[in-house]
Amino acid sequence: MINTTIGAATSPQLLKSRVSDQMYITMLVAGVAIGLFLVASVFVPNFFQVQNMLNLVTNNWSVIALGVGVSFLLVSGNFDLSVGGIVALSGVLSVWFAQAAVGGSTLSTGLGLPYWLAIVGALLGALTIGGLNALFVVKFKIPSIIVTLGTMMVARGIAQVITEGSQRNTNLPAEFGYLGNLKVFGTSMQFPVLFMLLLLAAAIFIERKTVFGRITYWIGANPEAAKLSGINNAKHITYLYLFSALVAGIVGVLLSSEFKSGFSNRGLLMEFDALVIALLGGIAIAGGFGSVIGMFFGAIILAVVTSAATGLTLSPDWQFILKAVAVFLAITAQTWALALRNK
Amino acid sequence: MSESTKVLSTPPALGGQIAEFIRNYYIYFVLAAIVLFLSSVNLDQYALFERGNFLYKKNVINILRVSAPILVLAGAFTLLMVSGYIDLSVGSTMGLTAVIYAMLAINGVPFIAAFSITVMCGVLLGAFNGLLVVKFNITPVIATLITLSLYKGIALLLVEDGVSAIKSMGEMKMPSWFNDYARDAVLLGLPMAFWVAVGVTALLIILQNRSLLGKYAAATGGNPTAAKLSGIKTGLVVFALYAIVGATASLAGIARASFMSLGDPLSGDGMELTAILVVLIGGTAFSGGEGKVLRSFIGALIIMTLTVGMLTLVPAYYQTLVIGGALLAAAASNHLVSRKQHQS
Amino acid sequence: MNTHNSTSVLSIEGLVKDYPGVRAVNNVSFSIERSTVHCLIGENGAGKSTLVKMITGAIQPTQGAMKVNGKPYTPNGTQSARESGIATLFQELHVVDELTVLENLTLGMEQSRFGFLIKSDLEQRVIDTLATIEPAINPYARVSTLGVAQKQIIEIARAASSGANVIIMDEPTAALSEREVERLFTVIHRLQEQQVTVIYISHKLDEILSLGDRVTVMRDGQHIATKPMADINGREELIDMMIGRSILHDYTPRSTISDQVFLSAENLSNHRLNKVSFTINKGEIVGFYGLVGAGKTEIARAIFGADMVSGSIKLNGQEVGNSPREAITAGIALVPEERRTQGLFTNLTIRENIPVMNLPRMSDFGIFRQRDELNAALDYVEKLSIATSSIEKHTEKLSGGNQQKVVIAKCLFSQAKLLLLDEPTRGVDVGAKKEIYDLVKELANQGNSVAVFSTELEEILGVCDRIFLLYDGSLVSEITNGSDVDTNFILNAATGGLQEAV
Repeated sequence: MINTTIGAATSPQLLKSRVSDQMYITMLVAGVAIGLFLVASVFVPNFFQVQNMLNLVTNNWSVIALGVGVSFLLVSGNFDLSVGGIVALSGVLSVWFAQAAVGGSTLSTGLGLPYWLAIVGALLGALTIGGLNALFVVKFKIPSIIVTLGTMMVARGIAQVITEGSQRNTNLPAEFGYLGNLKVFGTSMQFPVLFMLLLLAAAIFIERKTVFGRITYWIGANPEAAKLSGINNAKHITYLYLFSALVAGIVGVLLSSEFKSGFSNRGLLMEFDALVIALLGGIAIAGGFGSVIGMFFGAIILAVVTSAATGLTLSPDWQFILKAVAVFLAITAQTWALALRNK
Repeated sequence: MSESTKVLSTPPALGGQIAEFIRNYYIYFVLAAIVLFLSSVNLDQYALFERGNFLYKKNVINILRVSAPILVLAGAFTLLMVSGYIDLSVGSTMGLTAVIYAMLAINGVPFIAAFSITVMCGVLLGAFNGLLVVKFNITPVIATLITLSLYKGIALLLVEDGVSAIKSMGEMKMPSWFNDYARDAVLLGLPMAFWVAVGVTALLIILQNRSLLGKYAAATGGNPTAAKLSGIKTGLVVFALYAIVGATASLAGIARASFMSLGDPLSGDGMELTAILVVLIGGTAFSGGEGKVLRSFIGALIIMTLTVGMLTLVPAYYQTLVIGGALLAAAASNHLVSRKQHQS
Repeated sequence: MNTHNSTSVLSIEGLVKDYPGVRAVNNVSFSIERSTVHCLIGENGAGKSTLVKMITGAIQPTQGAMKVNGKPYTPNGTQSARESGIATLFQELHVVDELTVLENLTLGMEQSRFGFLIKSDLEQRVIDTLATIEPAINPYARVSTLGVAQKQIIEIARAASSGANVIIMDEPTAALSEREVERLFTVIHRLQEQQVTVIYISHKLDEILSLGDRVTVMRDGQHIATKPMADINGREELIDMMIGRSILHDYTPRSTISDQVFLSAENLSNHRLNKVSFTINKGEIVGFYGLVGAGKTEIARAIFGADMVSGSIKLNGQEVGNSPREAITAGIALVPEERRTQGLFTNLTIRENIPVMNLPRMSDFGIFRQRDELNAALDYVEKLSIATSSIEKHTEKLSGGNQQKVVIAKCLFSQAKLLLLDEPTRGVDVGAKKEIYDLVKELANQGNSVAVFSTELEEILGVCDRIFLLYDGSLVSEITNGSDVDTNFILNAATGGLQEAV
């Protein structure tokens, strides 16, 4: 073989890289996020405060967490719109499993399992939905947009059946509300936020430094070439769907712990928000491009826009228009910026 | 020459032809089976249906009355999917046009004018989708998710804060004719909204089978390269189809508003999922080229029968699960059938 | 009007096409007579496809002129070529499966009022045209129920009924069975009866000899001869004209070829291949030579496990051929035919493209060793002389030759012992070509095996020790390279001369 030993760098100037397109876009998004924050601070009273800045992140921990799974799948060239339904399902399951086995009515009676087992059960339920996603997308080769819309309904539907259309919030063990309301390190940061930050850090690490992350990009960039390079696309995409489902499951468990209830409408439309922040963050629909860092800043952008709107006492109904405009601008701007850069 | 090369040219064997037949007509059998099943179940105990007999005239009429929105939408949605494109914003379009219609009516605009203006709005809303997809080259899923959000937002803003819908309140009164369109029996006990849906569907059937637009839609979806090489302006075709979907969505919105006597911005939510399910049941393929307006119409009848009929057997909160499961089952079976066809 | 040109439907006059650094078509002139089957033959790289592209208006000539029916013809695009009556039959079929035959035939030409289709004599006309060339096809059948050969005939009927008087067919029989080829010939004869001229491009000389009325031979961008078929003395004369002089090649026999068999394949068969068997020794460079449709890519993909095939493939006695992953682990790497769609991750950088085939070499417990990845990329850029300012350049911006080198680097990184190269220098500049050939020889000298799959005879003869000749899915012969190699024999084999009675 031609020089199999990997020696020291021979030409230093080859190392000099201009910033890659991906980093360029991520920086662009970060810049927009910060810029918007500053602009909003000018127009909205009391906006420029540390507490407000922290709130932007902590209030959106669930969407950012979901965004991680959705982003990875998007990079591989697939959608996952089932995460909102999984959030509802796993939350409801954790409640139902943990409710005492003897109660006054059907809605107060559960399976009476110990709390940790209830969590395991809830996560298994989430993984089942993820498995369904993988089965239909990989094996049956049905477009992922249809599959995940269907599984989203199935997941939420099961939650609705278990809660008879409303919620289960009685007869729970004392430790049920612990995780969701736990404040860590003696600060006021809640455990779920810590979870999100750890997940994000792990995601960034996976994306940049691991084989698993790189395979995701290869599959998204050119699935045919990936196959001809020995990659097992089917297996990898299955892992991605299971991963996304697991994250959504954890989010659901934490939310139901925080509110001490399993509500069948929880997580409604969260999958679309997760998709929005991924798109705002520069993750391309075509696949093979984008970073979770960008998704994080995309979440900041969305948070700034929506909270500024509230701050300006606009009605909450404005969020829909703002999201639509933001995604449109993001997509067209990113395409345009890249085209300009690479002329 | 080896025998293996002959496989390329022989027409499908008998098995393939039977599969084709099943694919064309199975939905009729499904519909018949559902009707028979539901009529045999003893429904005395449930208040929704009188007399316990499903096939009782009033029950059938009720189902058809309530089905007007999906029935009018299904055909256009099918044609769009045949061309290989999708529209996820139909639910929001429906809600927005319902609001517009109610707003016009409550402010004294007479029926014909309100109706026409609302439909024109629907056309514009659909055309905007077409613009995003064809001109701006945004992938259809994202483009119509953008408009889903945009139209919903506009609809919500048009309705005053603190109120959920445009309806009779205090001095503002909904005109008395408002209900007529979707409630009053006009022919065979069915309201005008239903017959409009039938008429529109008939028109779309003719359009699909006998017009340039119908043929070019199938060509664009089946083989866009071949279509373009034949001189077909595929962009124009797709744009027109989006506009038509917008128009029928507005008819659905008008029907919904009229039925409920108010304009609720969220009244169309989830319609896009129902539409997808309906066209899947009718045998439309996502890859484009396949699908018939008539079959989707029947698919809509099946789904509505199922949904309404189900309400008599199981509580309402089972609905999401059943629809989701039906969606997955329909997608899977559609795919398996079409795959078998292409193997020969 | 010019009386001596009255039967000429298309006349080519001094056409030249220059690209930077190369003259692809060099002053070609000949005339095509009406209602004839005019065959166009030439080796790969002779300039046939460039010439055809100028005729169809896909590219513009640098110099020269064309006339259709005596009138000047300067198409500025494929649409205007069609309007002048020149239609092309492509290899990718442009039919809409979901429509009926009749709907396909009338696509784009329908009569309508207010957007609604009205019956006109168009339908009857196309049905009649179809019936005259192939009565066996039911015009009301859905095209999806028809086979490839029949879809081809529908495209021909479409061209004929839309007023084409010249139909260009480029290797039309590549995917057809014997019976279907005969049927196609019948169709072509019927076209002739309808005053349609057919330009037939093929390397299957037996077909040319039995079907053609006139033949034009091209070589190295130049027009060699245009003659009536009646004046041709069999395939030897055609081959002589196609080759001209003996192909210059600087092959020197190598001493490091072992006689140990490394790969053995037996009776490989699928829809394209017909009981192909061969062996490859350690340290050997073998070539698979054949023209369009011979089955080269199918063999390469079968060895690599990318396609299913019956028969057995053994590497050092171990069975392979079930999946690319298995092949790579066993030590086989494939440089695919289409580098952009099959070989490269075009929106990723050079550095990111390289490690994909051999992840364990670049990582511990799933974590990349970034330093090593960097060094590997730098290494290959230098060793393969990849012209780039940085390893962080996106590969879509590289030239063809450099892109190919990145794909090769990717395969070398897998430490493969058998390297498969499918059309390794297609679209690659001359300098890079030589570099790739040198690389191949060096690899073999180190004890690895290389298989080159190519349609370029010069390439095969310049590099390979042993050459397998393919025709129409069969391995028809095997020769050892040397200074006395008989190029006429090779071309004869590749054009079907060694087939048993057809």
